[in-house]
Amino acid sequence: MFGTRDMSHEFQPIMQYYRPSIHTRRANIVVKFQDLYGFTVEGNVDDVNILNEVREKVRQQGRVWWALEASKGANWYLQPQTPPLSEGISAASRKLSALANTIALKRLIRKGIPPILRPKVWFSVSGAAKKRSTVPESYYDDLIKAVDGKVTPATKQIDHDLPRTFPGHPWLDTPQGHASLRRVLVGYSFRDCHVGYCQGLNYVAALLLLVMKTEEEAFWMLAVLLENVLVNDCYTDNLSGCHVEQRVFKDLLVKKCTRIAAHLEAMEFDVSLVTTEWFLCLFSKSLPSEMKEDELLMASQVGDVLSILHRTTHHLYDPDDLLTVAFDKTGSMTTNTITKQRKKQEPAVMAELDQRLRRLNSLKMDDKSPVSPRE
Amino acid sequence: MATTGNNNLNAKLVLLGDMGAGKSSLVLRFVKGQFLEFQESTIGAAFFSQTLAVNDATVKFEIWDTAGQERYHSLAPMYYRGAAAAIIVYDITSTESFTRAKKWVQELQKQGNPSMVMAFAGNKADLEEKRKVTAEEARLYAEENGLFFMETSAKNATNVNDVFYEIARRLPRAQPSQNPAGMVLVDRPADRSQAAKCCS
Repeated sequence: MFGTRDMSHEFQPIMQYYRPSIHTRRANIVVKFQDLYGFTVEGNVDDVNILNEVREKVRQQGRVWWALEASKGANWYLQPQTPPLSEGISAASRKLSALANTIALKRLIRKGIPPILRPKVWFSVSGAAKKRSTVPESYYDDLIKAVDGKVTPATKQIDHDLPRTFPGHPWLDTPQGHASLRRVLVGYSFRDCHVGYCQGLNYVAALLLLVMKTEEEAFWMLAVLLENVLVNDCYTDNLSGCHVEQRVFKDLLVKKCTRIAAHLEAMEFDVSLVTTEWFLCLFSKSLPSEMKEDELLMASQVGDVLSILHRTTHHLYDPDDLLTVAFDKTGSMTTNTITKQRKKQEPAVMAELDQRLRRLNSLKMDDKSPVSPRE
Repeated sequence: MATTGNNNLNAKLVLLGDMGAGKSSLVLRFVKGQFLEFQESTIGAAFFSQTLAVNDATVKFEIWDTAGQERYHSLAPMYYRGAAAAIIVYDITSTESFTRAKKWVQELQKQGNPSMVMAFAGNKADLEEKRKVTAEEARLYAEENGLFFMETSAKNATNVNDVFYEIARRLPRAQPSQNPAGMVLVDRPADRSQAAKCCS
């Protein structure tokens, strides 16, 4: 910045000292606006500038997508539902071009899918389209008609949560929004009675409705997430899948962020206290961005850790920041690694939950009171 | 667990109870003096902190407001582990929530910290016309189990601060104070409101 590299190193602490004060002045001007999906965002002038830059980046990305559509055809990225049966060179070259498309797609997705293409790309890439293709076209409509007017513990809980899901949102918190969200959640509660309704899914389904635009596509996205993408039993019964994920996460934290993990451990702070919500809402309520390692290491009280985490999970404006952390700072972490970790943790979780259940049952026997109705 | 430093006490407090009993609303009323007709449903748990001055000591509550749905039960130990105090909340218009609350009491008695201060709060006391659980029944239960009992209304603020004051007063201290009267609420800037945000 001052032209002398050695100097700048020496100046750094002073720079850091001065910068916040400038920032604080500008931070005093709070700007409120609606984001792409109608959520009210509050930020300062810097945040608005970042958001404008991001918007411009997304616009540029849009042009890349349109150019590709022009050269490769409108649906070039849609995965074939059944592999075409052909032989010889044509099959090999088709495979090769499919592979090239997959690589190109991955790169493009990491740079951001233009909002208008998100419904189509998400639907295809997630496997939701494939899932829907295995049932009759009228599946969703039939399901909704069949369950209309039925009352179950799940529907009661859903009704209770409808106005409590992103309250104040300009569409979700309207009679139409509630009705749409209700159909998706109630429909799913009948599709999989082991899941029924689990709190957290209300936020996931609500966000899916906002992105996918149609109820039916939101429903299939929810189905593919729960049935194929996420770890098993994330939302069923005793949330065993969620317990597995938390253990995997903590294990990875020890490996990848050794200092933070050691510091939190010394404070006797269980990171799951906070991260459980992230995982159960699939980051729709809070999305961590930067790690703020230095700040976290300075924190000596639970409240401080939580306020740092709260700030970083409610203050993401540039998605590239998150991707930098995920792919550059955290280092390699394949799906395979995570799958292996999950397998490793499963027995311990099952044993722990089983032990707990037995303890609770012994409580019930002490009490001799009738077992209350299950949810 | 409650930790002391001079006359300052840090106390972990957990709220437990059925979904929709009003746990988050009680916390919101206590911490920010607000009430929302439709409070966002809590997933996992939400954290708040608030400091109270009781006599010549201050108590800083680290509050864990937990999710109420039954299947979240398996996550609860992580929130009540080491807690110095608990508020078990039920909704006076729901007998199911009362049953649930009693189960929480049992669990805490067996699994929780033995010196835990427990409050039993019958919330939504403003909905008298829909009442299903009588105050007498709840009071009797609380007395039998060594809890202190209050009916509260997060909506009209009845007894909300009182529950927290009473807990603060009952927390075990290194040097117990002798003069029982005079509690002052320490003025503390309200936390920034938690606006709903989306990941886009």
